[in-house]
Amino acid sequence: MTTTITSRNWDDVVDAEGNLLKPVDATTINTSNDGQTLLDPLTGWSAFSATFKVMFLEEWRKSIDFAKARQVLTFPLMLALITMVTTIGLQFLVGSGAAQSSDIDAKTFSWSELRFALHLPLFMFSMGMGMFAFKGRDAILKRTGEKMELLAAPALQPLNNSIAHFSYFVKDLVFYVVMILTPIIFGMALGLLLDRYTAINTPLEWSSLPWTWAAMVLTLAQGLAVAFLVSVLWLRGKPFTTFGPALVVVAGIAVGLGLVPWDQAMLGLAVQTKQSLAWVFGGLALTIIAGAFASSLILDDFDVHVVQRADLFEPIYNKLGFLGNSELRLLVAKEFVDLIRSGTMKKMLVSYAVPLLVLLGLAWLVDFAEFPIPFNLLSYAPFLGFFGFNFYSWLTILDSPDFMNGLPLRLTQLIRAKVMVYFIATSWISVLFFILMAWRLDEWISLPTGLIVMICNSIYIVALTAYLMGMRPNKAIFDSSIMIWFYLGTVAPLLMLFLLSFTQGDVALYGNWWDRVGQDGLEATSTYFDPEQMRGGYYGIIGVSGILLILSAILWKMMDRKWGDKPFEN
Amino acid sequence: MGNDDSPLVIAKDIAKRYGDFVALHPLNVQVDSGEFFGVFGPNGAGKSTFMKLLTGQLKPSIGEIEVLGINARKNPQKLKANIGIVPESESPPSFLTPVEFLDFVARLRGVEERQQKVEYWLDWFGLEEKRDTMCKDLSKGQRQKVMLACAFIHKPKLLFLDEPFANLDPIYQRKCREWLMDHVANGGTIFLCSHVLEMAERMCNRMAIINHGRVLAAGKVSDLKQSSEETLEDVFIRLVGKSIEEVESMDGSSSEEE
Repeated sequence: MTTTITSRNWDDVVDAEGNLLKPVDATTINTSNDGQTLLDPLTGWSAFSATFKVMFLEEWRKSIDFAKARQVLTFPLMLALITMVTTIGLQFLVGSGAAQSSDIDAKTFSWSELRFALHLPLFMFSMGMGMFAFKGRDAILKRTGEKMELLAAPALQPLNNSIAHFSYFVKDLVFYVVMILTPIIFGMALGLLLDRYTAINTPLEWSSLPWTWAAMVLTLAQGLAVAFLVSVLWLRGKPFTTFGPALVVVAGIAVGLGLVPWDQAMLGLAVQTKQSLAWVFGGLALTIIAGAFASSLILDDFDVHVVQRADLFEPIYNKLGFLGNSELRLLVAKEFVDLIRSGTMKKMLVSYAVPLLVLLGLAWLVDFAEFPIPFNLLSYAPFLGFFGFNFYSWLTILDSPDFMNGLPLRLTQLIRAKVMVYFIATSWISVLFFILMAWRLDEWISLPTGLIVMICNSIYIVALTAYLMGMRPNKAIFDSSIMIWFYLGTVAPLLMLFLLSFTQGDVALYGNWWDRVGQDGLEATSTYFDPEQMRGGYYGIIGVSGILLILSAILWKMMDRKWGDKPFEN
Repeated sequence: MGNDDSPLVIAKDIAKRYGDFVALHPLNVQVDSGEFFGVFGPNGAGKSTFMKLLTGQLKPSIGEIEVLGINARKNPQKLKANIGIVPESESPPSFLTPVEFLDFVARLRGVEERQQKVEYWLDWFGLEEKRDTMCKDLSKGQRQKVMLACAFIHKPKLLFLDEPFANLDPIYQRKCREWLMDHVANGGTIFLCSHVLEMAERMCNRMAIINHGRVLAAGKVSDLKQSSEETLEDVFIRLVGKSIEEVESMDGSSSEEE
């Protein structure tokens, strides 16, 4: 036996550029397989198929790990019921209700507006869920921790990283189609059945359902594929990092300037409008190819770089003097170190700022187009607070908190620290955007009230999310028992503040809009301006905001009972 | 590919560098068939990086590696399919059961008679009762058994083991040790990384001690001792201690060869 091992100095072997002074010719190396019949690992379709199946199983198990299987199965049912109610209400939205006359077209939504309203949020949702390259990298980095995901399997197993990511892309697409889109179509079908067997009328037709389903699948697939591609390009480093954001900006400008019509920019919208099979199959093929292309750009890179950093904890801790000397201050400092060191800060700020930019764009569009509904600065304030949900979700997956189980801490303290980090990290962005919006709409007088509404709503939404979902908001998405409370808890105040906002702003344009809508519904017309009603609306807004603040304090207190004795895990 | 007398592993001038930090200085390695070769060193010495390079888990900054006639840089999937790897601290996927994960790994490798082999290794490791329990709910020792079963399931001739007995109870430590010794006696080859010197004395016929990414000494276990009274622990402390002193007093640029 001649087994040998020798080592030399880096500088004796490598030149200044990092290349070997005497390059190794790989073809001169001759090793033996020792008589072992070599196995050929699965490749291509076989590898994808084997991986997809276990990934789907993993996804299902992840969902029922947080909630009980019964609650997860109730989620699609709840979604179907909500869609059924919406389907029944569709006649009022499009102005075909029995009580509505034909001359009120301007006061109702057109079918194309409704289609747009269906596909745009779905597209935004899928864009948010499709950053698979980031997820894959996180899984690789965390594979030595307590939790291990199949997405990290290529590091150790004979599986190509591209195939693992492509399987994940298809798995997510199928999972969302099964858990979200199909129940929505089922709900529409229930609404149509009521049309047939009761006196309820709905303008929807049976023949629309397969087209709507295919169109929504396509919008979802497109959003996932685009986000996947952007995340892959970002991870490839310079110069590719700039390609993704550039792609989004160019696409946005092209659509904004009308160079590409909306119903062609979003493939699902095109299918819904054109009802063409060629668009369905062509679009699906295009998104799958885009997903496969994004996957092919994923490298088999499992390096966890060894990087030394200067102490960040102490300086951050020192800056948090306003939190006193409590454990909260320690935890907030630790969370900020995680946030910065993991490189998530940039990604999170972008993911927080993009919806705000969309809202700013929407404000401009509504102002520019003189929309028939009296939107004003106060109408946007509740929405700004609502985006806090996404940011809080990111914060809960920064690092595995399992190690804290051995420390003299309670889960509630960590949850509160994350809520605190959310406010410190994002408040300035929200305020900045709100000021921009006030400038854009020229509504400076509403700014102080708007800021109060925004801050109260923001505190409430994050407190509600933290109370209901703790450290696992991403897993709670399919838990019906949580989502129904989340839905009621967010939609009710949001709707109230949104409607009350119509009494404010430049009300002279709309006169007694609020009063008239209450009286005549969509047939309302403006006749006179009532300062009393404006004052009442203002008190209403401040009152609701105050109630939200009180509710937040109650939820904050109740967190101890709900999460105090739970283990640290995410 | 060479003939059956050729070494199973050859690495020429492989090294790993992250920016200015050299995790592993250039190494030349040749491992022959039938060896139980151990690499020992203190925590952070570069043992795991070394093993990850040889098994295609990491790409070297420089140099070339061939294992079983397969180029580790160009075809890591084929390499991973034909060797067995037990990593130091990885677990099986949290939300799969042992039977599901073993089946998945066997499929990926293209193993024949998959079902029988999955059942055999579940039984061998005493995991029958836990076959349908998600891996996240297993104890650390049980998760380690699943990882060992994954490495053994296709009965590869060449195994790379990084602290393989971590968290295993003494009964299974002995059972695995005996299986590995039999494996080598029957023509198998094992490349082991550890800091538990007892394993070197009991199992390895050759060993190397590394620290700060460099080989400090290598050879037969008995050859590394300067006298019959010297224990392997003494050897380890002598070499590693000297190395630490060198690093502290100099710039750390010494090199040692076998």
